[in-house]
Amino acid sequence: MNGASTAKAQGFRRFWNNDNTVGHVFAAPFIFGFVCFSLIPICMSFYYSFTDYSLGTKSAELIGFKNFIELFQDEVFGKSILKTLQYVVVSVPLKLIFALLVAFILTRKSRMVTLYRSLYYVPSLVGGSIAVALVWKQLFARKGLFNSVLVNMGLNKINWFGDQNLAIYPLILMAVWQFGSSMIIFAAGLKEIPSTYYEAAEIDGASGIQKFFKITLPCLSPIILYNLVMQTISAFMTFTQAFVITGGGPNNGTLLYALNVYNQAFKYNKMGYACAMSWVMLMIMSIITLIIFRTSRFWVFSESET
Amino acid sequence: MKKRTVSIVMAAAMTAGLLAGHVMPVMAEEQINLRMAWWGSQDRHDKTVAAIELYEELNPNVHIEYEFYSFDDYFTKLKTLVASDEVWDIFQLGGNFPMYLDKIYPLDEFIESGVVDVSKISEANLKTTQETDGTQLGLTNGINTYGIAYDPAMFEEAGAALPTENWTWDDYKAAADKITEELGIFGSSTFLSSDFIAGCSTYIGQQGDLGQYGFFNLDLTGMGFDDPQMLAPFIQMRADMINSGSYPDAGASAEVTNIENDFLVTGEAAMTWVAVNQFPTIYNVCKDMGRTLALATVPRVTADGNSGAMIQSSQMLCVSQDSENKEAAAAFISWFENDIDCNNILQAERGIPANEDVRAALAATATEGQQIMYDYVDMVSGFKVPDEINVLSPSGQDEVQDNYLNYIQQVVAGEITAEEAAEKTYADAAAIFE
Repeated sequence: MNGASTAKAQGFRRFWNNDNTVGHVFAAPFIFGFVCFSLIPICMSFYYSFTDYSLGTKSAELIGFKNFIELFQDEVFGKSILKTLQYVVVSVPLKLIFALLVAFILTRKSRMVTLYRSLYYVPSLVGGSIAVALVWKQLFARKGLFNSVLVNMGLNKINWFGDQNLAIYPLILMAVWQFGSSMIIFAAGLKEIPSTYYEAAEIDGASGIQKFFKITLPCLSPIILYNLVMQTISAFMTFTQAFVITGGGPNNGTLLYALNVYNQAFKYNKMGYACAMSWVMLMIMSIITLIIFRTSRFWVFSESET
Repeated sequence: MKKRTVSIVMAAAMTAGLLAGHVMPVMAEEQINLRMAWWGSQDRHDKTVAAIELYEELNPNVHIEYEFYSFDDYFTKLKTLVASDEVWDIFQLGGNFPMYLDKIYPLDEFIESGVVDVSKISEANLKTTQETDGTQLGLTNGINTYGIAYDPAMFEEAGAALPTENWTWDDYKAAADKITEELGIFGSSTFLSSDFIAGCSTYIGQQGDLGQYGFFNLDLTGMGFDDPQMLAPFIQMRADMINSGSYPDAGASAEVTNIENDFLVTGEAAMTWVAVNQFPTIYNVCKDMGRTLALATVPRVTADGNSGAMIQSSQMLCVSQDSENKEAAAAFISWFENDIDCNNILQAERGIPANEDVRAALAATATEGQQIMYDYVDMVSGFKVPDEINVLSPSGQDEVQDNYLNYIQQVVAGEITAEEAAEKTYADAAAIFE
């Protein structure tokens, strides 16, 4: 062994054990996945949104802003935006309220709390799966469980998926039912609130409701903001429920945006048009998220400011 | 130590494998892998898989990897494969093949070299899967036409008039309404997306003189009729039926995913639209439940008008341009369409076989349901049809079809009138050719 090769070996070892190298090696699988399956497709979809690309024929000619102009003349597109907004505006607050309520109940010190918390998380685990969507389809079917319960109570059957104004509510209910991940985050946030606040309030004679609105909610508001943003974004991207349960019908009453994009891309063979739609969706979601952030300073309480 | 043992064992195994290759000449023959896919019902999946296994047994050097899907999923998958130049070696296509012409490897050279045998397939049947210039794109899986499957017992119980050979859409609606009124079930089950074939392709062809109108023109370059209002009466009828409960609304229709859980089969409807190759399957299912189904013609606009009947290729098997073993794929297709043992397994589930010998062999052992199908196709073949009809669909039809079904929903909801729905459908369809 001569000196040079030892030095080389040492240099290599030093390089290999360097924090930066280790970091990059561990991050490599993610970086690879992100570049191949997110970054490149994102760039491609941006390019395709200005073309008439279609999967079947493989031709892609640049057509400028034609896709975007067509979008705003498309009746179905307009309806799918309205229905998606309805879905988001109704489902997200309901889901958060429900998640907070359950999280609040489950932070009390009693036995079995961990078990219940895990149990309530289960719907979120199986959440977006086809299987649950199929179960939902059966539950709300004409002869499904909900209708037999209604009939047994002496009420009239409800034609859930046959009525274009009603059909979206089972889907909303399914979203609300999957409150688990928000609940876990809320539960963690609730534990962070110092118990001294509550003790002080109790000495001053505050009621339970007062404590909730004056202490719990303000202290939790940063967490609420986080959950609100995350759930809004994921609600905009809802696909499985609409695809499996209703297929978008009746009269496009449940044609959520992502389903419309899918139909255009894979069913009607208008990939370029679908890409344009995706970018419009990105813009809509960004604007709404921005609005939420901008308004947050009026309602999010930060302890450092006081 | 352990590692070394493993490598010794592996080396031994490899040597043994090589030796075995020398001993058995069959093994030395080049191993061919083919990929194949189709869409259909569970019944078709089971039969096709059994046929493939028989082929592998007869040809040990061929291994076929198969995939099967429902209709919609099949085409979604196909489109992604087209985009990545990896279309299955052997694939199934229906009347929408014009979209995939680039991916079809014509069979002409294999017919010439004798790999594909068409000696027992009539010229007319070969023509169903040819391009207008005579290029043989594939071999048809079977001959097919549409019909209305119904349960005569339900008609009689409700006191509705039974379908006749030239019954009209008015008769159809009257019977359906009567059945709904009397029995509280759907008079007619959902036609699903075939309601487009019923209300557009067929309904337009039934009007005017024989061959005067078609939904699209013969060479698929434009519309085949001028007055959008020709569509309106059917749309109005459909909306009325949904409103009166004699035809399933969108929610109920979504519960039907394939012919095997159609409302006719589950006993919640008295009739349904079928491609006749589907009839034996549902006939057998209902027979097991003690019900006997029958097959009626598609209703007409007027009793003495055109039948609108279309005898066509149900689907065909094609060789893909992306295939590395085109000849082996073509040989399989030839066997699949011509071999009697194979078709005894398949049982004409894809339609009535084009090969005369196969048809004769199957007809000799036909089940009751199949016999009804054969008789029905014979009867429809006797109807007057135009010299040339177009049973193909241009790319872009899917969206027109979905919009059409949606306009019917809008008429049901009272948002637009049937006349407006007709105008919109016409405009959508005409836009394909712009």
